[in-house]
Amino acid sequence: MIGDDTPEGDSEFERRTRALLLQSADQLPGAVRSRLTQARHAALAARSQRGPSITRRWMPLGAAVAAALALLIVYVPHGRSPLENPVPGAGLEDIELLSDTDAVPLNGDQDVDYDFYEWAAAEAAGAAGPAVGS
Amino acid sequence: MAAFASLGTQTADLIPSGKAHLRDTTQDGTRALEAFLAGVERKAFRIAQIALRHEADALDVVQDAMMQLSSRYASRPAQEWKPLFYRILENRVRDVQRRRSVRNRVMSYMPWRGEDEEEAVDPVEQAVDQAPLPPAQLESDEAMAALEQAIAALPTRQRQAFLLRNFEGMDVAETAAAMKCSPGSVKTHYFRALQALRAKLGEFRT
Repeated sequence: MIGDDTPEGDSEFERRTRALLLQSADQLPGAVRSRLTQARHAALAARSQRGPSITRRWMPLGAAVAAALALLIVYVPHGRSPLENPVPGAGLEDIELLSDTDAVPLNGDQDVDYDFYEWAAAEAAGAAGPAVGS
Repeated sequence: MAAFASLGTQTADLIPSGKAHLRDTTQDGTRALEAFLAGVERKAFRIAQIALRHEADALDVVQDAMMQLSSRYASRPAQEWKPLFYRILENRVRDVQRRRSVRNRVMSYMPWRGEDEEEAVDPVEQAVDQAPLPPAQLESDEAMAALEQAIAALPTRQRQAFLLRNFEGMDVAETAAAMKCSPGSVKTHYFRALQALRAKLGEFRT
């Protein structure tokens, strides 16, 4: 009998108890039946007057906040560690520049041979016209 | 029914004229829900009344369950309504029982609690109807009273399983959904409930 889903499988005891219970539900007093009808109408009226659910009401605002957060994450620079190299792959390029002996010195004026540049400029001017001292 | 008809009209008026198909869907949904609630309300009331042994509390509990189903779960498929409704109903019954339990515990500590603070009993409600009942009716009423008392004395889960399966006629799967347990547990609770009721109401046996 356990597990039977059909009333046909019920015992006489089950049929008798069900009949009694159904009879008691059918014979409810008029006042109770009236209250139940009122409750049903109130429930249906509440459904028809209900606005959008809280979830639906707040969904646009939630979407806007999520979009703003996504933009913040993508576009706002984050605090980086000072040791972090900002340009990926720049390490090798820096080493090449520093080790290049033919390049213009990068360490200020101390290694610049100004006399050489003045002489070179004077030579160039002399080739273009009469020498200044002659 | 007249009130319901006007309700349907009010609902339909909220929908723009260009969305007639939505109006039809809404009206169909409301009609289906109305039919469902009308079909379960008396049994639900009896189930709540047996659990709470109080008519007004049972009515409140049924109304709450109807409200909640209608406002929160009406959009669910109709075949889910019954398990959902009875789950809500059982939760409400448990809320009332807890409130009573707390109130009784608090009141038991009140030293000034007197008889005059007890709930007022309506003498009209308590009056015994002097009209003689037909013998068959009398026998039926006595049997019902004994059955109700025996069901109320069952452990909660057994009571739920028995009333949902036997009285409401739900199958094992629906009962399991309503009770939030496995079908195997439903079968066990139902079997134990039957054993307990048979032990108490032996004369029901044929």
